[in-house]
Amino acid sequence: MHKSLIISILFFIPFLKIEAQDVYKEVLEPTNLEEVVLTATRTMRQLSSLPLPVTLVSKKQILESGTIRLNEILNEQTGIITIADESGFEGIQIQGIASDYILILIDGVPLVGRSAGNFDLSRLTTGNIKQIEIVKGPSSSLYGSEALGGVINIITEKPKTEDLKGNVSYRIGSFTQQDINLELKQRLNKFRYNVFANRFSSAGYDLDSNTDGQTVNPFENYTLNGRLYYDFNDKLSLVTSTRYYNQLQDAGFIFNNEQFEGDSKENELNVHGRLDQKWNKKLSTSYELYYTNYKANELLKNANSGIILSDSDFNQKLLRPEIRSNYTFKNSGTITVGIGLQYDALDRTFFDKQVDFNSQYIYVQYDVNPTEKLNIIAGGRFDNHSEYSNQFSPKLAVRYKITEHLATKASIGYGFKAPDFRQLYFDFTNSAVGYTVLGYNVAIEKLAELQAQGQIIDVLIPENELREPLQAESSIGYNIGFTYKKDKWKTELNVFRNDFKNLIDTRIIARKTNGQNVFSYRNFDKIYTTGLEINVNYKASKKLNLSSGYQLLYAFDKAKKRLIDDGNVFARDPETNETVVVTKSQYFGLVNRSRHNANFKVFYDIEKIKANINLRLLYRSKYAQFDTNGNGLIDIYDTSFIDGYATANVSVSKTLYNSFNLIVGANNVLNYKDENIPTLPGIQGYIKLNYQF
Amino acid sequence: MKKGIFLLTVLSIVFTSCNNDDDTPPASNPDPLQSEQIINFYAPQTGGQGQPVGGAFTKFDFTTGTQTTSDTDWDIAFRGTTIAINGGEATGTLDEPIRNGEAAATIVSGTFASVTSADGLTFAQDGDTAFAIPTGSDNGWYNYNFMTNIVSPIPGKVLVVKTRNGKYAKIEILSYYQNQDTAQDGRYYTFNYAYNPNAGDSSF
Repeated sequence: MHKSLIISILFFIPFLKIEAQDVYKEVLEPTNLEEVVLTATRTMRQLSSLPLPVTLVSKKQILESGTIRLNEILNEQTGIITIADESGFEGIQIQGIASDYILILIDGVPLVGRSAGNFDLSRLTTGNIKQIEIVKGPSSSLYGSEALGGVINIITEKPKTEDLKGNVSYRIGSFTQQDINLELKQRLNKFRYNVFANRFSSAGYDLDSNTDGQTVNPFENYTLNGRLYYDFNDKLSLVTSTRYYNQLQDAGFIFNNEQFEGDSKENELNVHGRLDQKWNKKLSTSYELYYTNYKANELLKNANSGIILSDSDFNQKLLRPEIRSNYTFKNSGTITVGIGLQYDALDRTFFDKQVDFNSQYIYVQYDVNPTEKLNIIAGGRFDNHSEYSNQFSPKLAVRYKITEHLATKASIGYGFKAPDFRQLYFDFTNSAVGYTVLGYNVAIEKLAELQAQGQIIDVLIPENELREPLQAESSIGYNIGFTYKKDKWKTELNVFRNDFKNLIDTRIIARKTNGQNVFSYRNFDKIYTTGLEINVNYKASKKLNLSSGYQLLYAFDKAKKRLIDDGNVFARDPETNETVVVTKSQYFGLVNRSRHNANFKVFYDIEKIKANINLRLLYRSKYAQFDTNGNGLIDIYDTSFIDGYATANVSVSKTLYNSFNLIVGANNVLNYKDENIPTLPGIQGYIKLNYQF
Repeated sequence: MKKGIFLLTVLSIVFTSCNNDDDTPPASNPDPLQSEQIINFYAPQTGGQGQPVGGAFTKFDFTTGTQTTSDTDWDIAFRGTTIAINGGEATGTLDEPIRNGEAAATIVSGTFASVTSADGLTFAQDGDTAFAIPTGSDNGWYNYNFMTNIVSPIPGKVLVVKTRNGKYAKIEILSYYQNQDTAQDGRYYTFNYAYNPNAGDSSF
């Protein structure tokens, strides 16, 4: 499949050049009024003209909604869900694809530091964001590893005016949640700056009074971001950004009447510099250097005895220089070429020593309008990596304008995720239970050590099988859709399918004398997610805007489906305790996936009194958290289902004396609570005052 | 009326022929299959949590259908999640019972009712490398969930046992917890078994 995709795209490129004649200029020079996105093509493109499924969240939307962390605002978008997985860490899900396979960027450069594969988006404040761009479906053709399910890119803004501008805001809400923002920005001739500081804290909350301790412990965090811009001349400009994030959270808990105390710390640094050079009207080049360092430390000890329970460290670094160029041919499209290097390093508890990855990459993209109605983007990226086999990631996207109001778009792309550090270098023995997990690269050596220590009864997987190469996880994504825009109506429909293969999971490689197992990683699962997404926006009047979104999702494991077809999956009926054969219709699909997700949003502007009301209703249908009956899949007999539920968020905003803005709001006004959803406390009221100058 | 007589005749022929089949005398009068449920069969262990596992196995005898402390008259024995059989040799863990019978075992996938015969199955005995019924999560009869810390018997795993004296039994483990309640203490087995007391008869 992958091969035929490459072939079809290679075939397409020369074909395009012949056909390309009258270029419709509009798409290349978006007007100020239009919504413009950068992420989909790494060039400025009008949102409405793109052949890919893209969601744009504007600053206006963020402010009106009263949300303060990135996870909150994203969770309100159609087809995007934030959810905690089996590890207990929260991440994002797009088109039914888990957080591990979604790349998070700030101004086009990646953020690192994940917990069991999940990127915690509450790390990011929405305080200094211009807009959030979400490209759904594989984008490895531009961004390489991790961009299988989608890319989320946080875009910041270049200060425009000579006057000192800025804002100060303070918000306080339930659970003593406090959010303070300060932003200053100015242009001084060729020099511009933007300084931003945020402090966010909460006393945490408790959802289950029967258990000791809190569901979420108190925390406080700080984000500092300084950006400097210098325009040497019309053709050469420099932008640098330094961002620092620090969080301290109480990690104490009570277990079996023993009290444990300690802290969990996170530190993140991002340094990003980019020099943009416009050679002439046709050619521009960007030289980019990016460094990031993410550290997490947690120390827990018994409050009485002082004995250390756990002391874990995590220190990840990434350094990436990249050069990319855009060249616009006269009447025949734009070509984008980028090359770069990436150095990754991780040192953490359960690793013998710091481990390093090196990779080099090149990508090429050709964006052309052969006719006024047709836009085609074809591209591919080649990644050469020190630890796993090379990857070639092609992509093809087409948009055709059927009428003035109706357009259709289709895209197909390849995405991959490199085996991560943990899957390669982990050396972990659970001290409470006694099982061992070994990374692929260290499995043979560590297993021999365990054997020498007499801890192994039986090796189940022969060495030659352990040496079988670990492939990158990969997917092919298909998206086909329509957009319809007329008068007050704006409608989008997108049908998607993502076929994953070589998913990496653990298997038992040996048995230990203590009755436990030794696990290591290998490729096996093949899964798919498929469904459709509909968004409808109706601007009833100047005052009233209504919008609604819906996602239908089917997410299954192909191997498990085959086992069910063969009648080899059983479950125990909890009522009768009798074993029954699980049928196809009783297979519910992958964990944490809801078949239906919907939202309904109302925005009402009361111009007379400079106020507006904003209501968002979100619904997700039932989903299962984990397998409870031991057959390795979710079936109707499992007991970890969370029934479908709705939440509602409401906010009222009023402008006072032109420069003050008061927002009063409540999240989860329906007060939906479930102790199995630790990230959803009950009703949360807040009040926020913003002063803009 | 005529039709009625005709039908009656046909039916009686059918019945007669059935009877003819049934008339074939069986080789001997077989003892009935013994199907029972054992509740809260306690199988403690020492050690664990990274320490070597030890302690006596709790033994079971199919002939009597009860727990036993006999060193010879037992077929299958339990300690924690580990199951030993009275056939083969000790695997090398602490405090294992001496094997002096000819028991063997295998695991079959299916509902308990669907396993109707032991014919054609490949049996294994305990040996110096491994137990006949593999230990470990997702390996033999159970699955251990790291999130909930619960041991669940994998549904559809039926243990088929050849007893120490060559008879056949099948077992389905239903729960590892006291009163089949995962909130209560573990190492309490509840299982169904069917035992065919007729030597050489492998049907259930």
